[in-house]
Amino acid sequence: MTLSEKDVRDIATYTRIGLTDEEVVTMTRDLNDIIANLEPITQYDLEGVEPTFHPIAGLVNVMREDVPQPGFTQEEALANSESTEDGAFRIPTILGGGDN
Amino acid sequence: MVNEFVAMSVAQITSGIKSKDFSAREVVESSMRAIEALDDSIHAFLQTTPEMAFEAADRIDEKVARGEELPLLAGVPAAFKDNMNQLGTRTTCGSKMLANYESAFTATCVSKMVDAGVLPLGKLNMDEFAFGSSTETSYFGRTFNPWDLERVPGGSSGGSAAAIAAGLATLTLGSDTGGSIRQPASFCGVVGMKPTYGVVSRYGVVAFGSSLDQVGPFGKSVEDVAYALNALKGRDPLDCTSQHIETDFLANLGQGVEGMPIGVVPEFMEAEGLTDEVKSAMAKAVEALAEMGAEIIEVSLPNAHASLSAYYVIGPCEAFSNLSRFDSVRYGNRVPSTELGDQYEKSRADGFGSEAKRRIMLGSYLLSSGVYDKYYYPAQQIRTLITQDYRKAYEKVDAIILPSSPRTAFKFGEVSDPMSMYLSDIFTISLNIAGNGGLSQPIALGSETGLPIGAQIVGPQFKDENTLRVAAALERYFGVSTLAPIVQGKSKEVRA
Amino acid sequence: MKKLEEVLQDWEAVIGLEIHTELTTLKTKMFCSCPIEFGAEPNTHTCPICLGMPGALPVPNKAAIESIVLAGLATNCDIEKRSMFYRKNYFYPDMTKNFQTTQGPVAFCMRGHLDLEVFGAAANERHGLGSLEVGESSDNIVRTEDGYVASVGITRIHMEEDAGKMVHVGGVDGRISGATHSLIDFNRCGVPLIELVTEPDLRTPAEARLFMQKLRSIFLAIGISDCSMEEGSMRCDGNISLRKRGTKEFGTKTELKNMNSFKNLHDGLAYEICRQAEVLESGGKIQQETRHWEPANKRTITMRVKETADDYRLFPEPDLAPYDLSDEFIDNVRAKLPELPHEKQARYMAENGLSRSDSALIADDVAYARFFDEALKVDASMAKPVANMLVNEVAAHINATGASFDELKIDPAGLIGLCKLIAGGTISNKQGKQVFAEMVVSGESAESIVEAKGMKQVSDEGLIEGIVDEIIAANPDKVAAYRGGKTGLSGFFIGQVMRQTKGQANPKVVNELVIRKLEG
Repeated sequence: MTLSEKDVRDIATYTRIGLTDEEVVTMTRDLNDIIANLEPITQYDLEGVEPTFHPIAGLVNVMREDVPQPGFTQEEALANSESTEDGAFRIPTILGGGDN
Repeated sequence: MVNEFVAMSVAQITSGIKSKDFSAREVVESSMRAIEALDDSIHAFLQTTPEMAFEAADRIDEKVARGEELPLLAGVPAAFKDNMNQLGTRTTCGSKMLANYESAFTATCVSKMVDAGVLPLGKLNMDEFAFGSSTETSYFGRTFNPWDLERVPGGSSGGSAAAIAAGLATLTLGSDTGGSIRQPASFCGVVGMKPTYGVVSRYGVVAFGSSLDQVGPFGKSVEDVAYALNALKGRDPLDCTSQHIETDFLANLGQGVEGMPIGVVPEFMEAEGLTDEVKSAMAKAVEALAEMGAEIIEVSLPNAHASLSAYYVIGPCEAFSNLSRFDSVRYGNRVPSTELGDQYEKSRADGFGSEAKRRIMLGSYLLSSGVYDKYYYPAQQIRTLITQDYRKAYEKVDAIILPSSPRTAFKFGEVSDPMSMYLSDIFTISLNIAGNGGLSQPIALGSETGLPIGAQIVGPQFKDENTLRVAAALERYFGVSTLAPIVQGKSKEVRA
Repeated sequence: MKKLEEVLQDWEAVIGLEIHTELTTLKTKMFCSCPIEFGAEPNTHTCPICLGMPGALPVPNKAAIESIVLAGLATNCDIEKRSMFYRKNYFYPDMTKNFQTTQGPVAFCMRGHLDLEVFGAAANERHGLGSLEVGESSDNIVRTEDGYVASVGITRIHMEEDAGKMVHVGGVDGRISGATHSLIDFNRCGVPLIELVTEPDLRTPAEARLFMQKLRSIFLAIGISDCSMEEGSMRCDGNISLRKRGTKEFGTKTELKNMNSFKNLHDGLAYEICRQAEVLESGGKIQQETRHWEPANKRTITMRVKETADDYRLFPEPDLAPYDLSDEFIDNVRAKLPELPHEKQARYMAENGLSRSDSALIADDVAYARFFDEALKVDASMAKPVANMLVNEVAAHINATGASFDELKIDPAGLIGLCKLIAGGTISNKQGKQVFAEMVVSGESAESIVEAKGMKQVSDEGLIEGIVDEIIAANPDKVAAYRGGKTGLSGFFIGQVMRQTKGQANPKVVNELVIRKLEG
């Protein structure tokens, strides 16, 4: 077993997904099952093999010019939000934040 | 009531409209009637957009009346996977998370199709956020395989494949991250193509695995798919990874395979889990190619067996990050709370299905410090090896033929644990890892199940014309795929 | 709490800075084409990309990459041709994607440095300076006549994107704790941001302030940002730890935020150094945490305690192509590199004979330097008087009126005209000040103002001598007193002459004549 239930709870907290105690049990089982199946990856001799992060070889330096284009109106920007106020997105109290 | 245009090809529809045999408006009316008649049983559509289709039809019909030149796909009824944004529609990704999400813009692939004159009929069902191979994980209910309503259509683009098989649209778009176009195409007996990564813009298609996702068309025939690809291809300034493509994908469909070196991968043809009927159908397809003059050459992809694990590292890692934006603030499912962290947790717990949760959490774990070096980094190194395997193989052959899926469509609930479901993508995944293009071409009905079997033709990067050419040859040999029985009994034969 | 000087006797402060600068001179955001504009209505400069709508993809702004390369070249960095963007994953409501697009282990700019000239009072904070001979070096400093030069390493400068702005409602002073809810405006979300990280090479708050000042003047000179610390387009965080003098091992550090002026940067760091010393000296331990400088209360307070290192799940951004910058790209940027403030200063001192302080004042300010350089082209021989005017009259006028340099209705040729009238004796220095005050407002030339006001200086000795004689004759008692040794009374006579001539008499001539007559 790679992951304990505590590990899974920590991951759930980090990914902001609330899990019930029952869900923690099944999630722990499923994740360990999947991770066990990933083992082949750890068996390879990959010494000196460069990683491929992007599938198109040689694709580099893709950029655009610094020219403004019209975007959303305020109304369009807020259209899909269920909680807005004075042209802004409204969120409840932030606990444990404070980095700003 | 069925669609009298279902059996028509793209070329037949566009020329019929041009020569005023029928109007684009009639095509929409007929398509909408067919959807009404059949989609209660199939459930390919999550929403229909008749107003938009009629509006598009009127534009085409006006052009015809004025004698103006018609665009490439004028009057062709089409529909889009519901992870593709289209202004005026909801884009739900088959998830409760986005049940009420109104598209804020239009995806490039959708606007290219609409600009090419298609009649947009609606949005198609899919596995939640494209996580799945059966379309069973859609929050809005499953899609049924038109060939057998007790079976899955495959996935994740199950709605896109089923809509073609049931004659509800002539062209549909899907997206393919690990086989999500080719596997359902195989299960539903239609042609489904995942072009090389970069051929079609991903802008506006809700991302699953950004380095794996690619948009592609479904159709009844290779030619229809080639038409769609001609409309879809090319550089989009809004997608850094999209490429300028000059190729005319219709150009060499009739060329045949005479003298063409085509690869077979012995370890794939004898793979564990491959059913006998698929095995023998594949053998016949290879024989057919040889008979038509192709040079069949054995090639080896020694690292391909690692692609499944590489995929289940890279895919979830990218998905975890891509799905972080669904936090209830700007859009998406929101369970109100007095504290933001609590609102996040409740909204995401309530909005995501279990497969989405699994992949998000898996990805987050695999990227965590210390673990990254054990799985993520090696997975990207393995990607290099797999890419090299393919490159080496393509020094000898112009295309490779392999199964699309180890078996024909399975029954609902038959494959339930996550790992077995993942294994159904065993033949398709390595292509997404390498970024190459491929398609699934129907070659037979299974000798035991009577269900469609697809052969997968894959080619070098940016040589998608090769795979279309081989598929067209097979299509001429085995015949154009038939529509599912649910339609056949009712449709009138109009094929020339 | 002990004073800083006292603390630094026993403790060595180790300070590193993280400086974020918004590229405000660009037209569009980092990964989308939304315009950059501050003070607009909330959420009016957004689009699918910067709002993180599902399906949107980023496309980098080429001008932003040019700007960061320019910043790297100006700070002696190696430009890394090959680098990538990464995703830094964490949830925070001012980020729309809940990951920040930033760079990984390799940034566009690596391994730079700036040399700080520390002199005068600023040099006093450096411990042990007195034991060094001029020219002698120790650690990263070299002793100079009146201070020292410190070489401060720059670890890297990387490219990233800014977050949106939040307003916290219902609490005290807009603080997050105690607020009932918050409002988010994403206009700033996605504005190109460069982060410069220094090596932990700084040892005093004065060095930190000088580094920030020097960096700001460089960034202003290369034109990549308006560098407003008040408005937050240039923000500085500090990492501070203490170690006993003579030891090598780093102590536990704290991160200090909210130092939004040079003074706050200095005072915040100084306070934190003293606070840490007090904790350590009373046997306590420094907690690894983020602290907030409160200028009003002159103290730092805990914002967030870091129990474990943050795990941001950093991985290469698959939606963006990697970089492999060509020599041509870098050379094109290099060609845009202007003469930098410290280079200008050296030139003003060597070629134009300006003092260190005057040359620094002019060179560090883009507008002053541009004006001065133009003036040099008009007449380099007037460099010193023009410099005097700039650092005295122009600076005073700007301070008093709050006007910007561009609003002054004066050009280099005009100012030289004024300086020539003074140098030639046509008007006095005092009159010069009046003429200047007139010029900057009206835009009239010095000559025409002098003409119109009849301000010409009287240097006619005959005329002045007559007036001097009159005054001496009218004040025999004062003349006697002077001759009796109260030589300070010469000022009285000079003042009388100036009054009678309405200030137009040449003071030099008046002075000479008065003394001659009184002595005679």
